[in-house]
Amino acid sequence: MKMLPNLNPTFIILILGIVIFIFVMFLPAFLELKKPKDAGPKMIMDYNFSANFAMKEIPITDLEETHGFDQTLVKRIIDAVSVLPNLEV
Amino acid sequence: MIAEILKALFILLTVLMIAYLGRHYIFTLTVLKNSQKRKKDANAENIVYQPFVSILIPARNEERVIGRILQRMTKLTYPKDKTQIIVINDGSTDNTGIIAEEYAKVQSHITVVHRNKEEAGNGKAAALNAGFKYAKGEIVFCFDADYYPQRNILEKLVKEFTDPKVGAVQGRVVVLNEPQNMVTRLVTLERIGGYRVDQKARDSLGLIPQFGGTVGGLRRSLLECLGGWDESILAEDTDLTFRVYLAGYRIRYVYDAECYEEAVESWRAYWRQRYRWAKGHMQCAFKYMFKILKSGNLTLKEKIDGSLLLNVYFMPIFVLFSWIIGIPLFLSHPPQWLSISWAFMPIFLYSFVGNFAPFFEVGIGAYLDGRNRALWLIPLLIFAFLYNIPICTKALLDLAVSKITRKKNNYWAKTYHSGNGNTYIIN
Repeated sequence: MKMLPNLNPTFIILILGIVIFIFVMFLPAFLELKKPKDAGPKMIMDYNFSANFAMKEIPITDLEETHGFDQTLVKRIIDAVSVLPNLEV
Repeated sequence: MIAEILKALFILLTVLMIAYLGRHYIFTLTVLKNSQKRKKDANAENIVYQPFVSILIPARNEERVIGRILQRMTKLTYPKDKTQIIVINDGSTDNTGIIAEEYAKVQSHITVVHRNKEEAGNGKAAALNAGFKYAKGEIVFCFDADYYPQRNILEKLVKEFTDPKVGAVQGRVVVLNEPQNMVTRLVTLERIGGYRVDQKARDSLGLIPQFGGTVGGLRRSLLECLGGWDESILAEDTDLTFRVYLAGYRIRYVYDAECYEEAVESWRAYWRQRYRWAKGHMQCAFKYMFKILKSGNLTLKEKIDGSLLLNVYFMPIFVLFSWIIGIPLFLSHPPQWLSISWAFMPIFLYSFVGNFAPFFEVGIGAYLDGRNRALWLIPLLIFAFLYNIPICTKALLDLAVSKITRKKNNYWAKTYHSGNGNTYIIN
């Protein structure tokens, strides 16, 4: 029994403090490991936005079918835009 | 007398730790500061420079992943008539060669080099040298078989070669199989720190961005002058990095040229990979330490950064050493506050403050990537750090034994790729 250190309150509080500190430090990590809420692997992008936008064909009919877009509205927008001067000429 | 020697050693180790501590903070703050700046050379995308390029893909028993990268290679936006893809089937005993040949049949720009069992299995450098003999490109790129690059990665990397001083380029590695388990998640954090912060800062500060041996390329003319890859070094990429700089060329890091990789999935695989890296890095440290200090081709800041980079795998051993000598220092002195601080200083400096620096680095990298939740895992990196202590110690001891006995013990421990990353590819 004499080999054991003197278990005075300060010593116990110190040990408890260390244990709580370690627990609090690792708690978020264990929570994230158990129930990951991270977005997962970083998505690498193949093109920058402008290139992507320029190269993709936008299927209007698909949009209408999949998202229920009103094609007449799209046509009206196209007609409105078509009166603008062609800047590429 | 012994106590005085231990004290002197202790001070030396502490100074070294502070040097690495400062390095981490400088890198992190540099990247954080530059993250708000827009790219000055935004027009670089428009530079039309499309030389003929060769892509070397060394593969040894990679049947689970070789099809994935070859499929991706056929989808690259770089002109096919300016691309040569060379798969080096390094004595595979599985279907790697057959799968590669299937692709070569339908894609004329893919060539498969088969190495027989006698010449194969001597490491990546030997396989790359075998493939390099067939390379015709002005720029020679390397990709590992488990990688999956951006479609326009070559355009992004190639444009850096418009600067004649650039001898090599390096792109960013992103872990693909991150959600798999704790090991892959921790490797991801290490990669974020290394590629989002370390490499980026080195490039911004005009230091030595490291050629990583994959997702990168070199000028063919330079590679020929250097005699290809050094087959006696386990870290052939680090070796090439320093040979490029000693030859008077520079390496650019292109952080938006991204490529997925499959990270190691177990602690055992982690040990094998890091042991190889540590041993190879130490080989390079012994080979180049004095050469870079004496070289007239490197600036002072490049010499400092190069020295720190070369010796980075010794640091876990130094930490262990400082813990060991801390105990006799503590016991040999009366337990006054000064003596106690001496004993605990390395632990406080490195394990608490010092480790905060790489943790801070990883944290900022994750923040810049928008990975706020991944930050929660950072405390677990202490286990990876502790694991690196026996890895690096064993690597150093094995290297010392092979030097003393003059026996070459450079066994290339191949990293196993399960192909599990396929499930995370959605595009």
